[in-house]
Amino acid sequence: MSDMICVGVIGGAFGVNGEVRIKSYTADPEAIEDYAPLQTEDGSKTFDIQITRGVKQGFAARLSDVRTKEEADALKGVRLFAPRDRLPNLPDDEYYHADLIGLSVYDTGGQLIGKVRNVLNHGASDILEIAIDGKSGTTLLPFTLAAVPTVDLTAGRIVADPPDGLFDDE
Amino acid sequence: MTRSVWKGPFVDAYVLKKAEASRESGRNEVIKIWSRRSTILPQFVGLTFGVYNGQKHVPVLVSEDMIGQKFGEYSPTRTYYGHAADKKAKRK
Repeated sequence: MSDMICVGVIGGAFGVNGEVRIKSYTADPEAIEDYAPLQTEDGSKTFDIQITRGVKQGFAARLSDVRTKEEADALKGVRLFAPRDRLPNLPDDEYYHADLIGLSVYDTGGQLIGKVRNVLNHGASDILEIAIDGKSGTTLLPFTLAAVPTVDLTAGRIVADPPDGLFDDE
Repeated sequence: MTRSVWKGPFVDAYVLKKAEASRESGRNEVIKIWSRRSTILPQFVGLTFGVYNGQKHVPVLVSEDMIGQKFGEYSPTRTYYGHAADKKAKRK
């Protein structure tokens, strides 16, 4: 589990008054404001953020200490991070994607299967994309109580009981 | 143009057979199908299908609100990962 989570990126200046164009990665795009102050990847700069309006593919926003178009342009491509502990707590059986990614996946016999590479949702249920240990491919595991009976975030492990035939073509 | 009602929903016959066999066996398994065009029927609710997207079988757990849609809608053929940020996953 990483301590810092990327919540958006600066797309450059918006207008000539020192506003920036922000692309938000949060589930509710406007919620990026709630995680302020945001940091750069190396932690060297911290910004308060105030969204002024919605624009094409993102938001126009005013960042603290950014007053001119030149300063805003210099920040183009800078990713914005928020500390993990600023995210609200979730009810049981609900997890942040950021917490699940990177967990080790074991079968019910204690054998290592692989690591969670990504969490997907194509409209049905959530799916874990697992990078199989020792192989180049990935496999998809439904994130259900039956297929994933145990998620232990503190130990960094998931116990999976995959349905028959899931790993056949890997 | 919409499909005529008198024809009923389209489902490939092998999908029906596989679903029925899986339900009768009661085993916890992924039913691998290649038929993305088949309609999701009420008798499929609760089953997990592996719907082929041209590369791999994407597990699709069928729920009630998916009835009437096609299997292919839940198994995208193009990859887009996006960013994790504060997105949540729920175990059902």
